[in-house]
Amino acid sequence: MKFLKKIIFFYYREYKLNMSGVQDILTNIVFFFLSIFIFIFSIGPDKETISTVGVAIVWTLLLLSSTLSLRKFYQDDFENGNLLIIHLNGFSFGFITILKTFSHFLFVQVPFLLSIPIACILLNIPNDKLLYLFTSFGIGSLTLSCLGSISSSMNLMNQRNFLLGSVIVMIFSVPIIIFSVGIINMEQNFNSLINILFGILLIVFAINPWASGLCLKLSIENN
Amino acid sequence: MKFLINPSKFNEIADYIFKPVLVLSILLFGLGLLFSFYLSPDDYQQGSTVRIMYVHVPSAWLALLTYAIMTFYSIVALAFRIPFGFIFNTAVAPIGAIFTLICIISGSLWGKPMWGTWWVWDARLTSVAILFIIYLIIIFINLSFENRVVREKVVAIFVIVGSVNLPIIKFSVDWWNTLHQPATISKLAKPSIDPSMMTPLIIMTFAFMMIGVAIAILRIKTEIISRKSNLS
Repeated sequence: MKFLKKIIFFYYREYKLNMSGVQDILTNIVFFFLSIFIFIFSIGPDKETISTVGVAIVWTLLLLSSTLSLRKFYQDDFENGNLLIIHLNGFSFGFITILKTFSHFLFVQVPFLLSIPIACILLNIPNDKLLYLFTSFGIGSLTLSCLGSISSSMNLMNQRNFLLGSVIVMIFSVPIIIFSVGIINMEQNFNSLINILFGILLIVFAINPWASGLCLKLSIENN
Repeated sequence: MKFLINPSKFNEIADYIFKPVLVLSILLFGLGLLFSFYLSPDDYQQGSTVRIMYVHVPSAWLALLTYAIMTFYSIVALAFRIPFGFIFNTAVAPIGAIFTLICIISGSLWGKPMWGTWWVWDARLTSVAILFIIYLIIIFINLSFENRVVREKVVAIFVIVGSVNLPIIKFSVDWWNTLHQPATISKLAKPSIDPSMMTPLIIMTFAFMMIGVAIAILRIKTEIISRKSNLS
């Protein structure tokens, strides 16, 4: 019971932190929509072309804009010492990463999930494909959160090269992009592709606590 | 076999074998070039361009082999706390990157006359390009961290996580319909390549391997010295 209370307090703290910096999340979403506008300006306003490449554009931009806020994943808590305090309160590093991953999913990825329908209207994506986009992004965004946790915990002690974290996420997200964009184009294959996406999610979800927990431990020991 | 995990033992052995390896690599390379340019026949379809294979295939094999050994050493180093694995990772990553680059460049030079394009978005080609980027990221991580202990372990973790790419590269020609041909040489079946072409291929593979080993010995020795003097 005490443990559950601690978890609830953890999420309450995350909620407070994210709400005090709500402009960051909104800036991410503005970045997302602005890049859609820029894409349309560069492709040209032809309806046919836009609706064929629309899903790919949405997925690419979701990936890019969710990597923007990776810097804040562990960095603030690491620098002001909260990470160590949470660990001293009885959470193992692996468990902290799981909690943090869900918090990132809730406070950074879910706003994107809500802004997908508007993007679909802008990009002329038909309504019946919206369901596929939602399911694939619902699974894929959790995978992206796990990858973000791995890469940002790797880069805690990296003081020089800030872009490296985004590059690491992008290189591991290649299979997710391939299969999730494939879902929209192959509707009769829907179930099998969803299974593949789930498989990737489970693999990454299993690696995540191990890899990022080890990195967190290393950074705290060597700081 | 202790020299494979112990830096000082490695230094002793490396002093003995460095010169023989160097001489052997030069000899094999000369022999391989002789074979591949003059003593092997033209292909009946591809003509003389088939000779690109004698550079392309060995570099591709060695790029994969280098990454596989790096993965093995990372697991050993993290599990048993053997620092030689970290030294190996730092020293060998640029060699693997160069092998991958040679493979990509020779492949696109080969693709232009045969397929008509420099590059297609084919499963095998894309996954090798991703391998090249993974090598680059390993080098960048090595360059951008200041704390040595953290840097080495982060590189090892990244190598292990990135090794999911290896089976994708190996089996990409079997899983998807690709323009790239499937493997012609495998251990289990009789190779579908003629012995007159097989001989220069094997010789060039060993030549490339020896060159890689010679450079790796030099780089590992440098890395050991710089660790001892706490330079980085």
